[in-house]
Amino acid sequence: MPLVTIDEQPLEVEPGTLIIQAADRLGIEVPRFCYHPDLRPEGNCRMCLVEVKGYPRLAVACATPVVDGMIVSTPHTSALAQGAVRGVLEFLLVNHPLDCPICDQAGECSLQDFYMHPHYGLHSSEVDPSEKVRKRKAIDLGPRVVLDSERCVMCSRCVRFSAEVSGASELQFVQRGNHVELKAFEDRALADPYAGNLVDICPVGALTSKDFRFKCRVWHLEHTDSICAGCSTGCNLRIDHYRGEIQRLVPRRNPAVNRSWLCDEGRLSYRALSAAPRLTQPRVRHDGTHDDVDWEEALAAADQGLHAARTVGRPTAVAALASTSATNEALLLFKRYVASTFVAPLLDCRFGQEDRWVEEREDALLRRRDKHPNTRGAMLLDLAETPDGGLRQMLARAREGAIDAALLLYYPPLVRQEDPATLEALAALLHAVPFSVVLTTHEGAWCRGASVVLPVAAWSEEVGTYTNYAGVVQRVGQALAPPGAARSAVQVLGDLLARAGRARASTAPGALFAELVATVPTYAGLAYESLVSRAADVYPPEGRMAYGQEGFAGH
Amino acid sequence: MARRDLPVVNVTAVAEDAENPVTEAGGTLAGLEVTLRRMVRSLRGKDNVTIQYPEQRKPYSRRFRGVHVLTQRADGSLKCVACYLCETACPAECITIEAAEVPDNGIEKVASRYEIDLSRCIFCGFCVDACPEEALIMSREYDLTTDDRDGQMAYGIARLTERPEIDAYGAGYRPHMQYPLVESYLPTQRRQESAAETGPGT
Repeated sequence: MPLVTIDEQPLEVEPGTLIIQAADRLGIEVPRFCYHPDLRPEGNCRMCLVEVKGYPRLAVACATPVVDGMIVSTPHTSALAQGAVRGVLEFLLVNHPLDCPICDQAGECSLQDFYMHPHYGLHSSEVDPSEKVRKRKAIDLGPRVVLDSERCVMCSRCVRFSAEVSGASELQFVQRGNHVELKAFEDRALADPYAGNLVDICPVGALTSKDFRFKCRVWHLEHTDSICAGCSTGCNLRIDHYRGEIQRLVPRRNPAVNRSWLCDEGRLSYRALSAAPRLTQPRVRHDGTHDDVDWEEALAAADQGLHAARTVGRPTAVAALASTSATNEALLLFKRYVASTFVAPLLDCRFGQEDRWVEEREDALLRRRDKHPNTRGAMLLDLAETPDGGLRQMLARAREGAIDAALLLYYPPLVRQEDPATLEALAALLHAVPFSVVLTTHEGAWCRGASVVLPVAAWSEEVGTYTNYAGVVQRVGQALAPPGAARSAVQVLGDLLARAGRARASTAPGALFAELVATVPTYAGLAYESLVSRAADVYPPEGRMAYGQEGFAGH
Repeated sequence: MARRDLPVVNVTAVAEDAENPVTEAGGTLAGLEVTLRRMVRSLRGKDNVTIQYPEQRKPYSRRFRGVHVLTQRADGSLKCVACYLCETACPAECITIEAAEVPDNGIEKVASRYEIDLSRCIFCGFCVDACPEEALIMSREYDLTTDDRDGQMAYGIARLTERPEIDAYGAGYRPHMQYPLVESYLPTQRRQESAAETGPGT
């Protein structure tokens, strides 16, 4: 294997590794605009120039593969490379407008970060602001993206993403030199369902998000790593929130699942959380109307009603249906509660055809037909065993009068609307069953027939794990507190288990996951703590935000 | 100095002298000399230290850090583009900003809500230092007492931009006081300039 020495640090790498990748692995920062690990290298921004011993001129680290014995010096150790990189950055800033106060990229902008680094920037500009070449600003590129040509550094990441990854091929450069400009053909709206990624990969403020536009300054954001709940692919994302509100979702790099990408539907899925009013208080039905009650009363009512159904003792007289949008931990407790409390219950996880659609692709990149994040996890817990079980079967049995009680755990989908037929079937089931307990997040007409409604935490409000279509187990993060009196499904089910006389299960996520590993053979060997070990794959590499601080410290 | 050169003091005589009422009163009066002199002068109406506030007021420094002012452009629009630097710099976290889009003025962004909660403000002036465009400066207004803490202490865009007190007290601290304001106006100043431009009679 080739041995490369970068800034006097040796590293052995696989043949074909680029210098910039080797440097990233060593934790040596090589500045870059055009390089992106999930796009083909182009080498056009010249920001990653390094000195290679024996080479007649500087080499671009992002397009030069390592050869054995190579000795590389980055701008941190080579005066030659540093001078070149400084020059490149100064040229890139020649026509850059003084827009930072109104630019959404400010705070996470490569130009700002590199300029503040004592090795690349901090020059005083030779260009009078009135001499800068002015270009078009605030160009509307459809529902997701706003283009500002002046701020562009022509790195072509967006052009390559559009051509190589999403295949939409909607962007191109026109003109030359000072006047080169990024354009969509005739400024048409981008039809790419992955257009949001253009904003993420743009290293400057040329492409900004319409959804996030002027909403919040990025330095105020708090970050929580999580998994998208929009479909069974389970893309890794980061929840950016501020003062208890989600401001945006951005992808995290995971080469095994979503690389660096996220579809627009997933990116905007957080809007669904506030699309309908949330349930904030447990409700119990008295004489046909729902009354707000406290948890004690609601749990007692739920326990009593379900207990009555249990003592009737007819087999398969209890229908228990848990959504595959629930975490593995909630599903485990749900299954344990139902299986240990009732005689041969109808236990299932299918509201529609989740198990058939779980692997079915919607497009060539990420999206899948099953809009639930944890269908595979539910299937591994044997919640979809019978070939034709699920909501429709339960409804048929209930109409025959064979069901005494129902327990539902339901989450509205975050992507697209729920199938109206499913909601109708749910409402019909609740009307046909004498006693029913519903655990759900949002208010809805369908749950008016429920005897007890328990408000539970929605996505982004609880921790746990999802298992994606391919069986990859990933941790979900909690960014916000559940609204009002709502509690996590795990906590509610733990309380119900305790009331049913079962040993109170530990509802700590790590403890529940250990039980899950013991229950599901496929999970053997997994540990809760190590499920987030992919930090090394996060792009940009960890520690990049230190640029500004380093620059200030040098003064 | 050698020990034998020290003067000999008769302690008993000194103690007796101190108990003499005349000497005692003299010492007290000597101690009150400054106080008495000031008293007589002020009784005669010369250099009074106290003033009849609020009827009388003292002039404050040009750099006084009083209640904030949001400056305007020549056309009367708000200079602030909601860059949030003041909010970020504020140690008391008393500034609340919401930004909105302006499609047609070439500046794109404007503050649709700008609120300073003066009951939390510590008047440190960091917000004014942080403002890159002198869109926020301070005035010399210092008395902002109110009997309605909840309703009156949060100053919104309207009160921060135009209120009679701005003219009454005048502009206060801003970081580059040695230079005049550039394309930033206080309300009256702006009206005077636009009146001068249009000329009398129009």
